[in-house]
Amino acid sequence: MIEVEGLTKVFVDQPVVDDVSFFVPEGQVLGFLGPNGAGKTTAMRMITAFLPPTAGRIVVAGVDLDVDPVGLRRKVGYLPENVPLYPELRVEEYLRFRAAVEEVPRSEVGDRLAEVSDRCMIQDVRRQVVGTLSKGYRQRVALAGALIHKPAVLILDEPTVGLDPNQIIKVRELIIELGRDHTVVLSTHILPEVEQVCERVAIIDRGRIVADGTPDQLRSRMVGNPRLLVELRGADGDGREALLSLPGVTGVEDRGACSYVVEHAPGSDPREAVFRLAVARGWVLSAMTATQASLEDVFVRLTTREEPPAAEGV
Amino acid sequence: MTKILAIVRRELIAYFSSPLAYIVLTAFLLMQGYIFSIIVSFLNNPMTQAMTPLRLFFGGTVFFWLFLLFTVPVITMRLLAEERRSGTIEVLLTSPVTEGQVIAGKFLAALLFYIVLWLPTVIYVALLKQHSSIDLRPVAAGYVGVLLVGFLFLAVGTFTSTLTNNQLIAAILAFAALVGLFSIGLIEQLLVSSSWIRDALGYMNLWTHMDDYAKGIIDTRHVVYELSVGLLFLFLAAKSLEVKKWR
Repeated sequence: MIEVEGLTKVFVDQPVVDDVSFFVPEGQVLGFLGPNGAGKTTAMRMITAFLPPTAGRIVVAGVDLDVDPVGLRRKVGYLPENVPLYPELRVEEYLRFRAAVEEVPRSEVGDRLAEVSDRCMIQDVRRQVVGTLSKGYRQRVALAGALIHKPAVLILDEPTVGLDPNQIIKVRELIIELGRDHTVVLSTHILPEVEQVCERVAIIDRGRIVADGTPDQLRSRMVGNPRLLVELRGADGDGREALLSLPGVTGVEDRGACSYVVEHAPGSDPREAVFRLAVARGWVLSAMTATQASLEDVFVRLTTREEPPAAEGV
Repeated sequence: MTKILAIVRRELIAYFSSPLAYIVLTAFLLMQGYIFSIIVSFLNNPMTQAMTPLRLFFGGTVFFWLFLLFTVPVITMRLLAEERRSGTIEVLLTSPVTEGQVIAGKFLAALLFYIVLWLPTVIYVALLKQHSSIDLRPVAAGYVGVLLVGFLFLAVGTFTSTLTNNQLIAAILAFAALVGLFSIGLIEQLLVSSSWIRDALGYMNLWTHMDDYAKGIIDTRHVVYELSVGLLFLFLAAKSLEVKKWR
């Protein structure tokens, strides 16, 4: 649905986006994750045909940016980062304006208006002036505007910035739902958001994609095997040996005070075996927690300046 | 075309939901009322020569020009500067709208507002018509002149509005450009020796253009000047939007 090849943008001999390539199949929700200033917004502005790229090819829904930039704009619904709206318009006037500009046929405007207001939960403010709305409503009005022409692709630049926790949850749920029938690219620097909303993550740093995959893939690629935190009271010195003999276990670290960190092969689940072991040996299993490296670890590792980007991630 | 109309409509809503529009309208009516009172006192004076008093109305007084030079920047300053400041330009230019269409819509809205500004003055003409025998043809030509000079000035203002995301700077730039454009005619009068430069400047003298219109003369050279320079600035505005849309 979205094909990007060798995308580069140079501002005054400083590359902001540097040779970025990716492909988003239809219906996928891709998250651009990166620290501030990584080039997420610039990349999105090029995909939406707002900024002309310095080099590279962009094809959205079969329309090539170089051939038909206005045609490409038809395929894309875009929600810019700071949620720009016209404060003097009423919500309905704004949506009608968007519909006209986005070439929605006049006979369909009413239906589209009803549908997007319903989806974005803004029916109760349709007659209100945009300038008087709360941030959460403004966000949803802007999103409704981006959806008015049934775009094949939705590009959302930091869609939850500046919202309170309840509003964030609402907007995330909305994005997950939109992801069912749209191809979505969203940018964020909030890690849990990516894990919750996106099927795939591209981590961007200094204009380059440094990692690309599902959240699970990224996690395991970068941090190795999943781990269990186990407390076996009464095991004393024998715990390590016993745990190592269990199937699937690749390493055990004795942390003292009867607590162990058990590393096991991905896909295996030694928890039952640990329990049976404890029963067989007469130890008391007082705690067992599966810990997984968070995406946060991956993110920090990939975007920290001192470390060279880990080769296995790309 | 629907897209341009949508932009015009939105722009007009923006005009009339800001207090600035009403301030401009009020000030304009005050000034026109004052000029009208001068005209009436002229007509009541038995010494009045056989001149067309409505010439005063259309560019015959310095008030007319002063007011245009101040009002036009106020009308146009918001057009694109505000879109760029608030970022709505990003929404507009990621929908299937070209830069040219955006400029066209914005400019037409400004022109419509300008026409609304002049509309109440038709009442004065009607009043005069009732109580004296004025020739309506030069009046019509005067209105054509007002429209053409407005076209030119508003195009310049639209262009300067694309240059910055600060409304005030846009207004100041427009004012400076308009003063420059207007004073070309004054420079002509300062040059004593007749030369091709003087002739060329003479063609660009807006004061005499307006005076001719008010006399009932619609000179094609004047019309071509106003329209072509206006269109040039609109073209520049579209290009400038294309180049400067990122901040």
